[in-house]
Amino acid sequence: MTSSVQPTTHVVPAPQQVALVDLLDRLLGTGVVLSGDITISLSGIDLVHVRLYALLASVGAGFLEEDR
Amino acid sequence: MTCASGSRPWSRAVTDTGVYLYAIGRGMQPADLAGVEGVDGSLVRLVEVGDLCGVVSTVRLSDFGEEGLRRNLENLTWVDAVARAHNAVVEQCFVRGPVAPVSLATVCFDDDGVRARLQTWKEPVERVLQQVAGCCEMGVKVHGTPTAPVADPAQGAPGAGAGLAYLRRRQAESSQRQAASEAAVQVAAQVHAELAGQSVASRRHPPQDRRLAGRGDMILNGAYLVDHERRDSFERLVRRIGEERPDLQLEVTGPWPPYSFVSLDAT
Repeated sequence: MTSSVQPTTHVVPAPQQVALVDLLDRLLGTGVVLSGDITISLSGIDLVHVRLYALLASVGAGFLEEDR
Repeated sequence: MTCASGSRPWSRAVTDTGVYLYAIGRGMQPADLAGVEGVDGSLVRLVEVGDLCGVVSTVRLSDFGEEGLRRNLENLTWVDAVARAHNAVVEQCFVRGPVAPVSLATVCFDDDGVRARLQTWKEPVERVLQQVAGCCEMGVKVHGTPTAPVADPAQGAPGAGAGLAYLRRRQAESSQRQAASEAAVQVAAQVHAELAGQSVASRRHPPQDRRLAGRGDMILNGAYLVDHERRDSFERLVRRIGEERPDLQLEVTGPWPPYSFVSLDAT
């Protein structure tokens, strides 16, 4: 999902792989938030977001490279 | 949170699977998603209510039940795989027509649970699908420390003592930091406004942690709903801003399905 914006001096090309953190920005707390039968409550989603975020930040951007 | 689908309360006791909901679309055909695998390896299928289609797959409750989710959501490798699988399914729907992505890990007990939700949310979902039709979401992240006017820390009354000079220097540094942070807020708002002007809708996500990007502070984490046909001119605008502001780095992501623009309001 890399954009077609050509790199110039100040517009850096986006990484080839979608970053997990960009995905989480979109998959948690956005999108249609319905309560499923089994799901974390709405406030729970925010908590999960915050926790995952902290987890991700603590392992740093190296997480993706390690894994792939 | 439990709210079973009512008519068959016993079904929970006899089944060890649930139904994972990815997205809601309109007028889809099973062939649109033929062969697409979901988060748990089983095939994606449709649950329909009138024209609305819930895009779902069956999942094991050992992983996607309340306890399983609680455990798995602490595991980044699991989250990474599930988030990517979820996104891949949503993208399949997105290339085919307007879609309202559903938040990660929305699981019902059975298809009836999905139908009940489609029924309840029919009108707002239809409104949202109309709003995002023909559009994609573009992400723009802006990093940098906008240059603020620099105060001269050496400035001070001649002959002032070392202690006073130190205090003045500290004061100057602190006001520079404050000016820089005010400049960042202002510049972020300007860039966002300019991008929003070329979008159908816009939204700011909280800036991401600097440890993740490794290129200084993120001052803007914007999402923009852009007409497919105007994507090129939107990207040209991003490029132009990047050229005009050498103190900033702009990064574009997308096109995404319209994740950030499908919030439902129940009215």
